[in-house]
Amino acid sequence: MEKTGKSRKRLRAAKELNRVVTEYYVECGRAKAEGKPVGWMPPMNGAIEIFYAMDIQPVFPENWSPICAAFGLAERNFEVAEGMGYSRDLCGYMRNIIGYVHGLMKEEGTPLGGLPEPDILLSPGGGCVPVIKIFQALERRFPNAKVYPADLPQVPTEEIRQHHVDYAIAEIHRLIDFLSQATGRKLDQDRLKEVVKLSDRSCELWDEIMTYRRRIPTPFSAAEIGIMFVMVTRQGTQTAVDFLTTVRDEVKEKSAQGLGVLEQEKIRLFWDNIPLWYNMGLFNHFEGMGGVVVAETYSSAWSLRLDVNRPIEALALKSLKSYPMVSCVSVDKRVEMVIKACKEYSIDGAILHRNKSCLPITLGQMDIKRALEAELGIPSIVIDADHMDSRNFSVEQFRTRVDAFMEMLLARKS
Amino acid sequence: MSSELAARFHDAIENQEPRLRTLAAQGRRILGYFCTYTPVELIHASGFVPVRVMGGVRTLTKADTLAPSFLCPYMRAALDKALSGEYGFLSGIVQGYTCDAACGAVRIWERNIPGEIYHTIALPYCDSPSSRRFLLSEIDALTVKLRAIGGTFSEQSLADAIELYGKIRRLILKLYQIRYDERLSIQASDFLAIIQAGFMTPPEDYLRMLEDSAPITGPSVASERGGTRVLVSGSLVEDPKILDLIEESGGLIVADDLCTGIRNFEPVSGFGLDPIQRLIDRYMNRAPCPCRSRVSDRAPFIEHLLERSGAQGVIFLFQKYCTPHLADHPSLVEHFKAKEIPSIAVEMEETGVNEGQLRTRLEAFFEMLR
Repeated sequence: MEKTGKSRKRLRAAKELNRVVTEYYVECGRAKAEGKPVGWMPPMNGAIEIFYAMDIQPVFPENWSPICAAFGLAERNFEVAEGMGYSRDLCGYMRNIIGYVHGLMKEEGTPLGGLPEPDILLSPGGGCVPVIKIFQALERRFPNAKVYPADLPQVPTEEIRQHHVDYAIAEIHRLIDFLSQATGRKLDQDRLKEVVKLSDRSCELWDEIMTYRRRIPTPFSAAEIGIMFVMVTRQGTQTAVDFLTTVRDEVKEKSAQGLGVLEQEKIRLFWDNIPLWYNMGLFNHFEGMGGVVVAETYSSAWSLRLDVNRPIEALALKSLKSYPMVSCVSVDKRVEMVIKACKEYSIDGAILHRNKSCLPITLGQMDIKRALEAELGIPSIVIDADHMDSRNFSVEQFRTRVDAFMEMLLARKS
Repeated sequence: MSSELAARFHDAIENQEPRLRTLAAQGRRILGYFCTYTPVELIHASGFVPVRVMGGVRTLTKADTLAPSFLCPYMRAALDKALSGEYGFLSGIVQGYTCDAACGAVRIWERNIPGEIYHTIALPYCDSPSSRRFLLSEIDALTVKLRAIGGTFSEQSLADAIELYGKIRRLILKLYQIRYDERLSIQASDFLAIIQAGFMTPPEDYLRMLEDSAPITGPSVASERGGTRVLVSGSLVEDPKILDLIEESGGLIVADDLCTGIRNFEPVSGFGLDPIQRLIDRYMNRAPCPCRSRVSDRAPFIEHLLERSGAQGVIFLFQKYCTPHLADHPSLVEHFKAKEIPSIAVEMEETGVNEGQLRTRLEAFFEMLR
């Protein structure tokens, strides 16, 4: 096993995904070239649907970081950011994007054409501190961009009350007004309904796809989790619906035929926290011992249905719930979701990625560990790593710990 | 004020646990908070004693079971203390949302430390009529929760609490003015003790302690203390040793941009037609912290303090792994460089600082400033 490496994918849709990713980035570049407004925004909120409905090109610097990791560009970006004084203790997404906009972005020949300069920055108040600080750094890097200072209450999902929803709705209306003024484009309510309907259909398909993973053997593993690209960048578009339909059809067919990732699936694993984007091949490592990662925390962020009859409220709720659900804002809810998933997906053991680059998702992990043991008797292992920075990951340590864990799980099962 | 008088404040810090335990045993309800964005006036007005949770420097024995090593030393030490039963006098935590560490800490405490209330107020990031209405709803929601555990909030009690904390803040700010004017003879670690004591003493008692302390209330004399005038900037400073080290190495701390410092006291209060509006106004206009502000807000605030105090340079004091402060640092340095204001950064780890190495760095920094 290498320190970095791509995962071995088994779904035919994986090839289709490559096309979808390339087309998205080509579209971003083309939008800029054609004079269409380009807006940079954080993921996991209801602004993406507004952007698509108003025909404004959304760009996600956070999504660009896994792409940089996959293309081996992250080290160079880290070097630039750290040279500017950004501490190695800061989130890898932050160091990567700051390094990129001050380094590679100014050069030709970046894979997928790189990112187009923003005309608009949706600078968040809410979400994690690194993402707030990323956008504040982008404001300084792109002084000509029009900045929308966003605001979103940080509240555990189980404690959301009407006044939180009302404020989030008011903020979406403020965003629409801002975008109208900044771009001269008006929001067509029918178009918004259409986009929200497509977004909801994506969520519905996403849930259906995940449901097939409950089958034994599971038709696909976390090695294919790159499919969530469309949930991050394409929610509210026909592209996302078409791609997810393709994935659903393939997964459904495999399930019907009883085809799994492994012929002999012995151990079913759960993964908590973000994957190691520079080494998705880790997910294949378990396969040598009959293990498959069949569920993960991150995928639940997209498991949110939207009420198409009340599109603005639906987007407000999406904004309020998406991030808290997978972070330390809602530890109780997260524990409950992991327990539920481990039951539904017949999990034998959990891998908790203690992620140096993501404190908000790592905090609360030990409570998950305790709850899994106490409520379900499911053992778990903590792996120290980093979703972006391979310097914080020891492949040997990973192998030693994971192999011992797998042996223990196999012994328990036999 | 001499160090002798500062001794009362040191004593309040050292004996906080038995004192607060006794207070709790006598029936006073005590609520903890982490960040100074927590509206303490509201907690006090509801009949509780607000106490800022501190971590201190200690050998951690329990925090690792629940928190990663890359959580800031402050939050790890505080959790360790709580898990060791040292915060048994608290009835819970009420927190104003600031950073990821504090946000997660509230939820981890809730699951692992017995308490009646664990609540985070979702503070708005933008200031507008709509965001103020939202904050009003958040305040209402908290008062309902506090009532459910025996709280007794009224508009009058809030007005009284605002007045009480206003008096405290005015006295502390007077102390800052005296310090800027070089008429304060105590060292920075004593100054910190005066402030820290306020976090863990019932405000009525703390106000009396301040009122009894010359020269806050009386005439002051010119200080004979020397050294290169500097400002310290960061989040919490808990260990006074770092301040002593700065002053022993040739520095004279004349100003701060700390949340165990001036950011806790400015502004004294807010404006509005009724106490709740005044409370909201204050927390919307808090001295800028990187969790909730941009560098473009922070830089002028620090520059104003530099100007007022005559400090010649900035010493950034970071809690290890503190994202909000670390993230702003490069841009602040760039900003200050352009204005020829020198700065240096020091990271405070769980085990404190490497004294020998730091002393050398600080001496070189002060040498350069002279």
